Amino acid sequence: MSREAYQVPNMGTQNAFGADSMGAGSLDGPVVAYLCGECNSRVSLKRGDQIRCKECGHRVLYKERTKRMVQFEAR
Amino acid sequence: MAPAATDTNWSVNYDVLKREKLFRNPPKDHTAFPALAAAIRPHVDSFNALFDGPKTLEAALKDIGTKTFIDGADETPEQKKARQAEGRRAPKRNKLHVRVKEVFLDKPVLPAANKFTTRNRNIYPSECRERHASYRGKLRARLEWKVNNGDWMESVRELGQVPIMLRSNRCHLENATPNELVDHKEESEELGGYFIVNGNEKLIRMLVVGKRNFPMSIIRGSFVRRGHTYTKYGVLIRSVRPDQTSQTNFLHYLTDGNLTFRFSWRKSEYLVPVMMILKALVETNDREIFEGIVGGSSSEGIKNTFVTDRVELLLRVYKSFNTHSRSSCRAFLGEKFKPVLGVAADMSNEDAGTEFLRKVVLPHLGNHNVTETQDYDKFKMILFMIRKLYSLVAGDCAPDNPDAVSNQEILLGGFLYGMILKERLEEWVRSFQPLLRDWTNRNQGAKFTDSVFERDFLAKVVKRSNENIGGALEYFLSTGNLVSPTGLDLQQPSGYTVMAEKINFYRFISHFRMVHRGSFFAQLKTTTVRKLLPESWGFFCPVHTPDGAPCGLLNHLAHKCLIATSDVDTTHVPKALIQLGVRSESSASMTESVTVQLDGRIIGYCSPKQASAIANTLRRWKVMGSDKIPRELEIGYIPNSTGGQYPGIYMFSQAARMYRPVKHLGLDKLDFVGPFEQPFMEIACLPQDLIPGVSTHIEFSPTNILSIVANMTPFSDQNQSPRNMYQCQMSKQTMGTPGTAIDFRTDNKLYRLQTGQTPIVRPPLYNAYGLDNFPNGTNAVVAIISYTGYDMDDAMIINKSSHERGFGHGTIYKTKVHSLDEKDSRRGKSRREVSKLFGFAPGGEIRAEWRATLDEDGFPHIGARMKEGSLVAAWHTVRYDAASDSYVNVDGITHFVKYKDQEDGYIDSMRIMGAESGVEPCQAISVKYRVPRKPIIGDKFSSRHGQKGVCSQLWPAVDMPFSESGIQPDLIINPHAFPSRMTIAQMIESMAGKAGALHGHPQDSTPFQFSEQNTAADYFGHQLRKAGYNYFGNEPLYSGITGKEFAADIFIGVVHYQRLRHMVNDKFQVRTTGPVNQLTGQPIKGRAKGGGIRVGEMERDSLIAHGAAHLLQDRLMNCSDSTRAWICRDCGSFLSTQVAVSGAGSSKARSSSAAAKAIAACSSSATGESTSQQSSGANAALGGLAGIVRCRRCAREAVFEDSRAEIWEDGDGQRFVGGDNVTIVAVPGVLKFLDVELAAMGIRMKFWVDN
Repeated sequence: MSREAYQVPNMGTQNAFGADSMGAGSLDGPVVAYLCGECNSRVSLKRGDQIRCKECGHRVLYKERTKRMVQFEAR
Repeated sequence: MAPAATDTNWSVNYDVLKREKLFRNPPKDHTAFPALAAAIRPHVDSFNALFDGPKTLEAALKDIGTKTFIDGADETPEQKKARQAEGRRAPKRNKLHVRVKEVFLDKPVLPAANKFTTRNRNIYPSECRERHASYRGKLRARLEWKVNNGDWMESVRELGQVPIMLRSNRCHLENATPNELVDHKEESEELGGYFIVNGNEKLIRMLVVGKRNFPMSIIRGSFVRRGHTYTKYGVLIRSVRPDQTSQTNFLHYLTDGNLTFRFSWRKSEYLVPVMMILKALVETNDREIFEGIVGGSSSEGIKNTFVTDRVELLLRVYKSFNTHSRSSCRAFLGEKFKPVLGVAADMSNEDAGTEFLRKVVLPHLGNHNVTETQDYDKFKMILFMIRKLYSLVAGDCAPDNPDAVSNQEILLGGFLYGMILKERLEEWVRSFQPLLRDWTNRNQGAKFTDSVFERDFLAKVVKRSNENIGGALEYFLSTGNLVSPTGLDLQQPSGYTVMAEKINFYRFISHFRMVHRGSFFAQLKTTTVRKLLPESWGFFCPVHTPDGAPCGLLNHLAHKCLIATSDVDTTHVPKALIQLGVRSESSASMTESVTVQLDGRIIGYCSPKQASAIANTLRRWKVMGSDKIPRELEIGYIPNSTGGQYPGIYMFSQAARMYRPVKHLGLDKLDFVGPFEQPFMEIACLPQDLIPGVSTHIEFSPTNILSIVANMTPFSDQNQSPRNMYQCQMSKQTMGTPGTAIDFRTDNKLYRLQTGQTPIVRPPLYNAYGLDNFPNGTNAVVAIISYTGYDMDDAMIINKSSHERGFGHGTIYKTKVHSLDEKDSRRGKSRREVSKLFGFAPGGEIRAEWRATLDEDGFPHIGARMKEGSLVAAWHTVRYDAASDSYVNVDGITHFVKYKDQEDGYIDSMRIMGAESGVEPCQAISVKYRVPRKPIIGDKFSSRHGQKGVCSQLWPAVDMPFSESGIQPDLIINPHAFPSRMTIAQMIESMAGKAGALHGHPQDSTPFQFSEQNTAADYFGHQLRKAGYNYFGNEPLYSGITGKEFAADIFIGVVHYQRLRHMVNDKFQVRTTGPVNQLTGQPIKGRAKGGGIRVGEMERDSLIAHGAAHLLQDRLMNCSDSTRAWICRDCGSFLSTQVAVSGAGSSKARSSSAAAKAIAACSSSATGESTSQQSSGANAALGGLAGIVRCRRCAREAVFEDSRAEIWEDGDGQRFVGGDNVTIVAVPGVLKFLDVELAAMGIRMKFWVDN
């Protein structure tokens, strides 16, 4: 089965969301930024964090647009 | 200087710039489409009325009143006797009075527990949609109580969270401007009127109920079955209290001329002699009652022996009760009804009787602090009802039709909501009774006067009651089920709410204009309720009703039909009537006096001649706006007739009425007419319908009778009527544009058309309702020609180049909530209860293949392509570690949520949802998948004239026919679609669209603008000719294949086409093998489960008839439950074969070779590789090649002489000889079950096995 998604080379070390988060969060997992649904500020969360915007306390966070290359074969 | 106010005038023009500006800068003053906002007003206004304006809920609290509870135990009759014998007085018992003084409903805000948000604590609707939560506010009630005659004490109780209607006065967006709405992630034209429950938009459907406060005469056969001497005659009045709850009172006519008063209270029915009610209401005498019904001694009515006889009988029969005075009658009623009314145990009988009259008998005439005059009004009303009933029985008047709109009104969502709220509040207070008794028992018979009580009442009694009224209302909205001890005087227990689906905007707006007759009528076998009656003119749309089961029961309001949501001020009307000569003397003779009523209150009587003059004068005053007669007042003047409707003037001013605007001819001014008065008015439809001296009114426009959706069908007057109905249905199934805030919506399924266009041919109303904000289709060049044969039978050919340019391209958005806890994701959890978290297990390996769709947080990246089985999210189990205040994963195993759909999709957006408290880790995500759907063969399309068709080919553009100007059709449909369906309007639209496209201007398609003299074909034909085209819309076309001109000119034009949401990708069903039923081994049914389509008996019959034996064998055996089973050749039984445990070497070898042969024979008959692969496994189970199978029935028990080689053993160690003539056959799996079942009934099946 051929996957059409473009593979980011060297996936293990390359990090889509800030380069150093992996090392810091060793056991708590990576820190990933999300967007607040209310004030659009970036909210960094790690595993098990409470879900709310640090700025305005909003309770819906969006996942950011990916920085991966997303490429499909057009047919 | 302030910017100019937003223009709200719309014409048929495209107004591209104007709309573009509205989009870029949503208005900061008010909406640009007031007509659209007005369409849903009844919903919002009825909800607003609960707390503002009429304050319906305040009236409800007054009706509930004060509940009184008594401490101590009730004494038994023996105790009472003993006590009286001893001459002691009754022990003094303390009374606890409880009442709900006030109810508050807050706007939705964060709970106080959330300490993290300081700036804006409001919860807005969009957040509730995105979080799949409910939009609700805190309900509080001020509970007051006092013991005996002490001071009132109070406490504000919290009664849970109540769902709140959007854009109502309890919503943050009540007065929001379009600009503010956009800021809060709503549509710029968000209308509100619905609730958000668990992320779904729910609305309370409008329901047809009987007209309030109007005594309706009814002939109903089922009355006879009520009991002995009952007849089919009755009069009923649906009496509505100020809080909008109703109580229906019936009067039944008995065969002997007597009358019975019937009502239902808390779902039980009660019967009372009507005379007793009359005598209980006022201090009266037989003469007054007699004259009240018949008329004074000098009146004509006295000569009506039919009535006098019966009234005399009424009075005579009542003598036997021997209760005459008002107080004794009240005491009698009070004694009987005390237990069911829920009044205090020690209330006197007379007071209980008064309470009974207040609550049950015509409460619309006096419901709270009933005065003597109000009781007298009730008395007069019952007398009138008696008179009307006698006249019905005598045949002097016709029965009223309860299925006609003139005798109906609309139960609005907000009012129903208030009714439920009221009932819950009352039940809450009532529920204190058992709790108080329980408290007394626990505290060894403590009294209310004890000091403990003061402390315990709130803590031990109120607190133990069910205070979650919000939960009850949320249940009501999410299920539509009415859980009610009283039934609320309604006929159905369920089906009150519907989901406001946003498939496209037509469907969405239709939900708010929808009126249901009630699910009770859906089961009725007669079709009379479904009939379109002339009374509906202008109120219900004659076109817009579905065909099929709900036909005629589910109507839609005409677009100009309004619904009153509050009472209009009529304080000056009675005075004006008295001035006009209405007097109080009456008579049973209709030629002598007719009644004048206002909202079910008898103002007085006048002669028929006067009545006509009074009605005319009042109408003039009301249209002029003079004498303080409100314009919304409905003046139903029913003239005298022979055997027609009972005459009189009936005026209605209260809420829930329908009314609509028409023009008064005399004053050339706006007038409102209601459904009750309309049948007796002379309203011309068009100027040519005017009859001089007769017509008083004229319609503003003949299209006022159509609903919003029906108005959008171009030239609908030229179509055969069922086609317009189909179009109303289909426009609601169109893949269109549900809105502009799609990014913030989380509907389960959302359809979107990528290439929507404004239709060239449309009525001005299209713009007035702002429908260009929600385009619904595409203008297509349509040729009507039979070409290639692929357009047979309602199929249509799409030009492949049009397809590639985006014709009809659409997208489906599916939102799925992936929650970690299966049970109830809504409820908050404490930190330590969390047992799973999203993300890869820390410390565990993370494979590269997992990262194809997932980011390092374990969530998919935006835009990831999902196939069946792709990973959507990663999660792992955790345990809360209090020491480090963190979650620890022990096993290091990562689990995955997978994408289950067959169809590929893309991640459109991903939301992480927190809790209101703001302290919980992520337990649920909401993922929106985007599934692109370009049109493919098998997708459904339709024009706007009920002409649907299926795409049969995407035809290459080079092979499409072309015209002299080089135009190719986007679409080819077959001419056979027209003769039998007679959708002339589609042809006119085609011409109009073509002319409009050529001249670059929009075409007004309002129906009823053309006539036989001035035809539409001529009008648009001339436009075509001006543009250099054929007057008739035909053109010479050239074959795309040969390049030769067709022998005939082809009708070609521009038609607005809709893409319907029925697509093959959601429907195709195919399987060879797949999931099977556990028990029978036969394929399961259901497309969603990968099941098959049944080859049923009729299909089987036809295959037999065709002689297609192998096909049958394949369908019914090989693709179904074909199994191999051991059978004994000698006795022909499946059931007697069994596996032998062990045996001797020689026979084993022999039998296994026989078995192998049998298996080989079976396998060769079976088809496919998979079966032969299966066979080895199946054989092993059946005893296998190695094992041996014997027939127990044909075997005999082994004796000592038998050779060891022939002996076999069963599982219990018993030894047998023989029975070795067994073989394997392929049979349907269920055959063995049949055999067992028959055996259980003592029937043996025997099979002969050849070969």
